[in-house]
Amino acid sequence: MGRKPLSLTISLLVAGLASGSAQAHDDEATAWRLFIADHSEPVVHVFDAVEGKPLASFDIHGPASLYRSHNGEAVFAVQGSSDVVTAMATGIAFHDHGDHADIEIGEPRLTGTEIEGEYPVHFVEHQGHWAAFFDKEGVARIFRERDALAGSVEIREVDAGVPHHGVVVPYGDYDLVSEPHPEDPSNLPIGIRVQDRDGNQVGDLAECPDLHGEAATGNLMAFACATGLLIVRSSEGEPAIEHLPYADTLPEGKATTLVGGRGLQYFLGNYGPSSVVLIDPSEEEAFRLIQLPTRRVHFAVDPIRARYAYVFTEDGQLHQLDVLGGEITQSLRLTGPYSMDGHWRDPRPRVTVAGESVVVTDPLEGKLHLVDAASFEKTGELEVEDTPFSIVAVGGTGVVHDHDHGHGHDHDHDHDHDHDHDHDHDHDHDHSH
Amino acid sequence: MSRARKLALVAGLTLLWLQLLFTVQAEERLKVVATFSIIGDFAQQVGGERIELHTIVGPNADAHVYEPRPADAMALARADVVLTNGLMFEGFLTRLIEASGTTGKTIALTEGADILRDPEGGHYHFYGDHAVFHEAPFDPHAWQSVANAKVYVENIASAFCEADENGCPLYTQNAIAYLAILDDLHKEVGQAIAAIPEGRRVAVVSHHAFRYFEDEYGVVFLAPQGLSTEAEATAADVASLIDGIREQRAAGVFAENISNPRLVEQIADEAGLTLGGTLYSDALSAPDGPASTYVELMRHNATTLSRVLASD
Repeated sequence: MGRKPLSLTISLLVAGLASGSAQAHDDEATAWRLFIADHSEPVVHVFDAVEGKPLASFDIHGPASLYRSHNGEAVFAVQGSSDVVTAMATGIAFHDHGDHADIEIGEPRLTGTEIEGEYPVHFVEHQGHWAAFFDKEGVARIFRERDALAGSVEIREVDAGVPHHGVVVPYGDYDLVSEPHPEDPSNLPIGIRVQDRDGNQVGDLAECPDLHGEAATGNLMAFACATGLLIVRSSEGEPAIEHLPYADTLPEGKATTLVGGRGLQYFLGNYGPSSVVLIDPSEEEAFRLIQLPTRRVHFAVDPIRARYAYVFTEDGQLHQLDVLGGEITQSLRLTGPYSMDGHWRDPRPRVTVAGESVVVTDPLEGKLHLVDAASFEKTGELEVEDTPFSIVAVGGTGVVHDHDHGHGHDHDHDHDHDHDHDHDHDHDHDHSH
Repeated sequence: MSRARKLALVAGLTLLWLQLLFTVQAEERLKVVATFSIIGDFAQQVGGERIELHTIVGPNADAHVYEPRPADAMALARADVVLTNGLMFEGFLTRLIEASGTTGKTIALTEGADILRDPEGGHYHFYGDHAVFHEAPFDPHAWQSVANAKVYVENIASAFCEADENGCPLYTQNAIAYLAILDDLHKEVGQAIAAIPEGRRVAVVSHHAFRYFEDEYGVVFLAPQGLSTEAEATAADVASLIDGIREQRAAGVFAENISNPRLVEQIADEAGLTLGGTLYSDALSAPDGPASTYVELMRHNATTLSRVLASD
């Protein structure tokens, strides 16, 4: 369902993005793609971030929040108001093994997979399995990414009991399921229960009042609660959940959005309107609060330079956050003011990282700002029609393998490789009720 | 000045001098990062109280799949010396060093050791329906031979001497004493294995971490996983292993402290053997465990193998 190519103008192509050339070494390649959803139009634009050129546009059903898979092979458009999740193949599969990486490059496409249900919001990956939670049904539909890419999924349903703003995480042979508020399910959930595949609860409810926001970093998962975080570890294949209370030193507040570090194991969360919190559950002092100059709009971690994360504030500034030092190290004004007054889903900037560039959407100006991640200087802009909003990037630099010659191996089995499982997403709304 | 005041002054100056000395000594401690617990023990044996040690991958943890924390990067940033195994053992290290911006000297302790080539020469990663082969030509688990452990210790002493000239006599003295202990350990392990009847020196573990032990002391190890725990064993690998157990008459199946024992339990069950205990492969035990130092680790592995394999 390819759309007619859009007349996208590239006002300035950027040294930062262009610095990773398409073919770096003999058998090594760099490729980055940006997927951008419009704030009000049913479309996803795809840009080649290395060349700074539009690659494709896909018609979908409604405005979407975008989610990328851990290995970057899939991007999903969660269209809450249109009751559907649409799968796209990015054309890039990047596999990072620490000491080396592999990359495969093809064309982006709609895969034909669509998961339907009433009002999908929270959408979570765990080891190649995805769960879309449909709030108005109180049901999660779980499927394998590999099947979604192939265009035909087998859906497993997990019923959380009643409609609510919930979440389900497929966790090996178990599911982590949000427990709706018992008196008023329109309130945020009160905890997480572990269920086996037959729907039987295993162990006690892990209490998590005002549960909202989840993320993964490496083999750790976390849910944000009013009282602290629930940290989920794998204990001999079973989920072990531990409550990490907010430190007494923190001011009154709670996290409602989390992202997981890449390359370093930590969580970054919102905490009150004008600060973020760095969370390292392995440390005695697990929480470090970072005050921002104004109210926070969005934040993202850098998957390449593990030391850094980025926060965008309503005064139009992008801030570089040093995760080790726990401080803002550089700030750069990119856009006009974007006030946090108004609805949480009003068009405001979103941040992602594509190779050497930090990319920020500027919905009201119809463009992307590109910032060199190393120098933290603005290097260019890409114009995108309408109101560019949700954005994710996929790609990397890795070795290209020729599967037809030599590397094939006769392993006759179905093998799920144990990748860790954080993902970029823009589901960044505060729930204060 | 009265005698009492003189005495008070002298006492005060002495106290100040001691405080200064203590402060200087505290400041002068060599900041060392060791990538995993076994190397951490070697570093402590050589450096003693003169070093400030941060070990990244702690007891009972698996360096093959470790995910570093911000605190690890912070320790690296402060480090004077970074001790690594090398040979692609620490997959997390390159990115961690980059994130930390460390200027400390990074040493691969396997440099100069007697290194075995991996007979398979690498491992496969599986993406959907196809496999990709990654060359990893060397076996990194060199510490499983005490002779190689001595090379690690010598490399550590050299690195510490280079980074902290004043401490060199102490490091050298500690290293010499520890090398003598390792000589005794080598003999002890050899004797424990020699006590096993020759036809029974075949053991099963979960990953190939013991080939240096095999090469040095003569126990054959079979494993469903390769050199890294990152690449999972396949059904075909397990089936082939069961055949191998029968052909080679393996006499014992052992869990590893860094791995989930479920797979080897299943293998033991299918092969009609019982689990013979836990061997310590890539990490020490917790301080209250049976392998909290390298010497205890090797001793525990040798006696466990000897006890289980020698018994009918």
